[in-house]
Amino acid sequence: MTDLSFENVSITYRSSSSRGDVAAVREVSLDLPAGTTLGIAGESGSGKSTLIMSALRLLPKSARLDGRVLLGGKDLAQLNFGQIRAVRWSQASIVFQGALHSLNPVREVGRQIIEALEHHSKDTWTSPEKRRARMLELLAEVDLDSAKASAYPHELSGGQKQRIMIAMALACEPDIIIADEPTTALDVIVQKQILSGLAALVADRGISLLMISHDLAVLSAVCAKLAIMRHGRLVEFGPSDEVCLRPRENYTKQLAGAFPQIGDQESRMNPRTLRPAEVTRAQPFTMSDEVVLEAKDVSVSFATKRGTERAVRGVDLSLRRAEILAVVGQSGSGKTTLARALLGLQEVEPGSQVAFQGRALPRKAKALRTFRRQVQMILQDPAGSLNPKRSVYEAVVEGLRVQGIRDDEYARVVGALEAAELTPAGDYLESIPQELSGGQRQRVVIAGALALDPQVLIADEPVASLDASVRGEILSLFLALKQNLGMSALIITHDLGLAWNIADTVAVMKKGQIVEYGEVDSVLENPQHEYTQELLAAVPRLGSQSLVRNE
Amino acid sequence: MSANTPAEAAPGPPDRDPRERGAAIDGAKLVRERRLNNAKKNWALFRSDVPALLGALVLLFFVVIALAAPLIAPAAMLDVTKQLDAPRYAPPSLEHPLGTDGLGRELWVRILWGARVSILVGVAATVMSMVIGTIMGLAAGHFSGLFGGLIMRVIDFFIVLPSLLLAIVLSSVLERGVFTIVIAIGLTSWASTARIVRSQTLSVESRLYIERARILGAGHRHILFRHLLPAVMPLVLANTTLTVGGAIIAESTLSFLGLGDTSKESWGTILKNSMDVSAATSGYWWYVLTPGIAILLVVLAFTMVGRALEAIINPALRSR
Repeated sequence: MTDLSFENVSITYRSSSSRGDVAAVREVSLDLPAGTTLGIAGESGSGKSTLIMSALRLLPKSARLDGRVLLGGKDLAQLNFGQIRAVRWSQASIVFQGALHSLNPVREVGRQIIEALEHHSKDTWTSPEKRRARMLELLAEVDLDSAKASAYPHELSGGQKQRIMIAMALACEPDIIIADEPTTALDVIVQKQILSGLAALVADRGISLLMISHDLAVLSAVCAKLAIMRHGRLVEFGPSDEVCLRPRENYTKQLAGAFPQIGDQESRMNPRTLRPAEVTRAQPFTMSDEVVLEAKDVSVSFATKRGTERAVRGVDLSLRRAEILAVVGQSGSGKTTLARALLGLQEVEPGSQVAFQGRALPRKAKALRTFRRQVQMILQDPAGSLNPKRSVYEAVVEGLRVQGIRDDEYARVVGALEAAELTPAGDYLESIPQELSGGQRQRVVIAGALALDPQVLIADEPVASLDASVRGEILSLFLALKQNLGMSALIITHDLGLAWNIADTVAVMKKGQIVEYGEVDSVLENPQHEYTQELLAAVPRLGSQSLVRNE
Repeated sequence: MSANTPAEAAPGPPDRDPRERGAAIDGAKLVRERRLNNAKKNWALFRSDVPALLGALVLLFFVVIALAAPLIAPAAMLDVTKQLDAPRYAPPSLEHPLGTDGLGRELWVRILWGARVSILVGVAATVMSMVIGTIMGLAAGHFSGLFGGLIMRVIDFFIVLPSLLLAIVLSSVLERGVFTIVIAIGLTSWASTARIVRSQTLSVESRLYIERARILGAGHRHILFRHLLPAVMPLVLANTTLTVGGAIIAESTLSFLGLGDTSKESWGTILKNSMDVSAATSGYWWYVLTPGIAILLVVLAFTMVGRALEAIINPALRSR
């Protein structure tokens, strides 16, 4: 059995750019005794990934490490290349972030698992037949069908790919598994499967687990101890329940509060953030009875090689003025397709009806352009939604120019930026997207939509790619837009906590159909459909190592 | 493209708050400063590349001598009737720096005058092929369905066509002249540019900001000219410098085959004349080598500069 310990570790990246040297990790000491679990939480830039890469000496050449990293009592810095190779994978292995990019797209996944065996433990599994048998054994261990061995990565779903990565990490029977955001891109149900799989492995085999994530609830579901990192420093460390439920530091409280507990009345219609958006109207708008956007029996199908696939089947929805409607479902449930159909970006099947303010969705290009002034959409990834070469002013003004709105251009842009709480707007006008943080970029995208004074905003996973602390800010902005401007919003998400935070109504979607639709309070607190219950049960709860103890 | 920011922002309604207008103009100034800074950074990168700098110097030298040819060597020096006293096939010496040809003309004078046509044809043909290639590539990448497919087939047709053969046919069918050569080269060399532009367009087309523009209500024109063209432009520019070299060689080839304008000097014409008198086998080595080396130098210089520009646009190439 092997212990891993970081002794007073500092890691600095040398850089010739104007930023100078960057201290990524500062004086961190942590212990991971054999057979225990430790979670490290922190936002992007907190140095958590850099720290765990040092555990296998995988840092780039430009990094300088001070202090000691001990694996089984040996200082990693003292090992020569042959010795470090022996350590990698057979003593400690990594499940990398983003399984989509860590697998070779042109090789069968089974071959890729065997590759790890060939490189690291030829002595244990001596013949090709034995290695093949071991590979099938590993697939069974991560609950995958043996037929998947001959599949290529693109034929697998995100959750299956992540399981292949875990199988690969287990291949050489390591003592320590290091998991870097293993469930970030996955929806709650798959996330639960992966986490309980990891937890079971830890319990059965006595493997130590070092896991990092930005989501405290995910970590607390599997790990016995938690460490919180910020700006490269260790902020808080202690038993998982202690850190989650009785945090000492303000920063930890903020992280813990970012993802709400469904049923907690305090966070209902009140996303927790240090920077809430201002409600300026004395009598804020509330949901009315006037229907603005209505969908009746909307169906969308795609022609694929295996025949037509029905992505959306007979969906009925209605969005009222000043209503926030959350459409919740797993990935692949047809949420995004539905949103595109509502905007007229996606061809719908005959018989489908979409009406805006009582009139059917126009089909001609010119009428559609006018319609788009009224209904705007915010795409999933703010970084990709902005042309990297154009300034904030140009990005926000784009809609106005396209729509031919020429008067008061400057005032409209500044107004929209201020409505999106990017103040003072003048400071941002000439910035280009790469100079902005993730949250600021999302505000620019929102401002670009607001500049057109739309009645309806459709947002596709508006906070999925943002840090926990920014999440609350953006959600409170949506709430403020509704209350100040009387805007309606349809928000697509896989995050039930988001619905609990800001939505009036929620529609639960499964395989293209809406299985439950109603007021948030009634649906989330008293779910009728079994799928809604399943989704709710899969949401990780803070503290109490829920997954480990349930199994 | 982006020059229209101040242009469109400036003519606002007259009743506009002057403070706001001041801020808008200030904004335009900041944009200009940012562009200037970028240009400075790129220039520093270019300067640190020794081969590229050498290439640029060689190009500058040839362009200057081409422009100044009438001043350095009056056209009379090419008139065979005035060279009756000059020795024929004189090898390079102090008196005749690059030697003379079979009619007693100084080779250096012919190179000087030939540079005018060779470089002009090279650049003009490249510009023509770039314009066609960019338009066709953008259209093929942006429009899907029947129209895009049709354009792609046209591009494919020009790719599989043996370009030299087509150029020969074109220049023998059309009237003789420099312009004909430009058209012949331009029309036959755009297809590969179109392919490059198309692949870049396809990759930019799938970015979310294009989808966002569509959601804002943008039509084809807006997406093509505001987003796609600026995104492919740097690539096209780097490609241009690389293509000029090829066009100069093509011009030399056509002139060498006797399809050029025989009344005008060009490096290819000099090569053809040297072949007509079997200079290589008769020991008049300077007659063959001089135009050959001139072509080599200019093409190499264009390639060096083009590679440096490519590396500036695409940082991933720098460490290779």
